[in-house]
This record gives sequence, C-alpha cells and structure tokens, in this order.
Amino acid sequence: MLALSRKKGEALILNNDIEITVLEIKGDQVKLGIQAPKEVPVYRKEIYLQIQKENQDSMNIDGLDALKKLF
Amino acid sequence: MKLVSKLFGEINIDNSKIVEFENGIIGFPDLKKFTLIYDEENEGGGINWLQCIDEPEFALPVVNPLFISEKYDPFINDELLRPLGELNENNLCVLVTITVPQDIKKLSVNLKAPIIINVEKKKGTQLIVEDNFPVKYEIYNVLESRKAEEEGGK
Repeated sequence: MLALSRKKGEALILNNDIEITVLEIKGDQVKLGIQAPKEVPVYRKEIYLQIQKENQDSMNIDGLDALKKLF
Repeated sequence: MKLVSKLFGEINIDNSKIVEFENGIIGFPDLKKFTLIYDEENEGGGINWLQCIDEPEFALPVVNPLFISEKYDPFINDELLRPLGELNENNLCVLVTITVPQDIKKLSVNLKAPIIINVEKKKGTQLIVEDNFPVKYEIYNVLESRKAEEEGGK
C-alpha cells in the first residue's frame, strides 16, 4: 500500500479526475472531501463490505426447495 | 452459447440476452456478464435468477422489490445511472437480491443495494442507496401470509 502524509488542507489527486482533500482533523477522526465525477460511486468501506457479504451469501443457497415453496 | 450452471445444469444462453455489468456487482468486480433466468410458471412475479456467465457456479436469486413492498422507492442519484443509458419505464428493471439462510424463516432481501438494469441496452449496475433501507429485510412472513391468502382464495 502506498502511504502518503498529508496535512489539513492538503490533497491527493487520483487518476486525473478525483481529488481527496483533508478538511479537518479532530482527535482520531479525519474529515475528507472527495471531488469525483458524479458517475463514480463513493462508499464507506464498512457498508461496501456488508453488501459484498450479502451478495456472497445470496449466491450460497442453502434451502432452494424451501425457497421455491414460498413463491 | 451453452453454459453448465450449478443450479440449473446445462442451459442454453441466448447471446442477445446477456447483460453487462461494467463494474461487476458490489464486492465482485470480475463478475461482469449475467443473464436473467425467469420462472415461466410465475410470469416474473416470483424468483428470477441473475445467472453469472463469467463464473457459471454463481447465480443470485432476485425479485422485483415491488413484489415485496409496494412502497419501495429509494432515492438514486441519476448521475450514477448515466452509464446505463437513458432509462424510462419501458426499459428499466429493478431487482433486489434474495438471501436464503439455513433457517428459511430468516429469508431476506437486500433493499440497500438494488440492481438496476436497462433491458434495451443490456447494461446493469448495483448501487448502494443512501436511504435507510435494510440490507436484510426479512420477508418470510410476507410470503407466507400471501401464500395462505392465495390458497384460501382458490
């Protein structure tokens, strides 16, 4: 992983069209500003992982016959 | 093309019915090509399957969310749908995934991350919506009572 140090107000540019700015640092919390093309989805990782897990679980079907009976 | 799927055995896939998910589905960026398998008996009202073409062992059971709850109307930023082309009521298909745990009574749908498909352009995407919809919305009771009603009405 690339590790870069940034101060408040400094930013990173990703891929020419995404800018991530450190807006505020308060204790152990950092507020980031993200400027990206509007069709680029930005998600909090914990929610992303939750959906990934749900997709994974959805593809692992245990009770197919029981499911068919319900519909 | 022919495909050996885990759930349905050997199936014939109509190449013109393959939907492309440019960025895959969430958490699985390499799963880009899917086809929708319908249950003819249910005329689209029941479970459909989003069968993955890239990895035939993967298929997601999906359902039209309006079949579960008529009130499902998440806010979706139009810009995120732009890669799908222009959407209208004739080409828009919204689905939510079904999760089938060992305990069938915990059966749920994921209302937080709907799948949106432009059926004309054959392009699809899965999004996480900002609204406070649950990832696990349990549906066993809804389906049971509906089934009971249908059978009572016969």
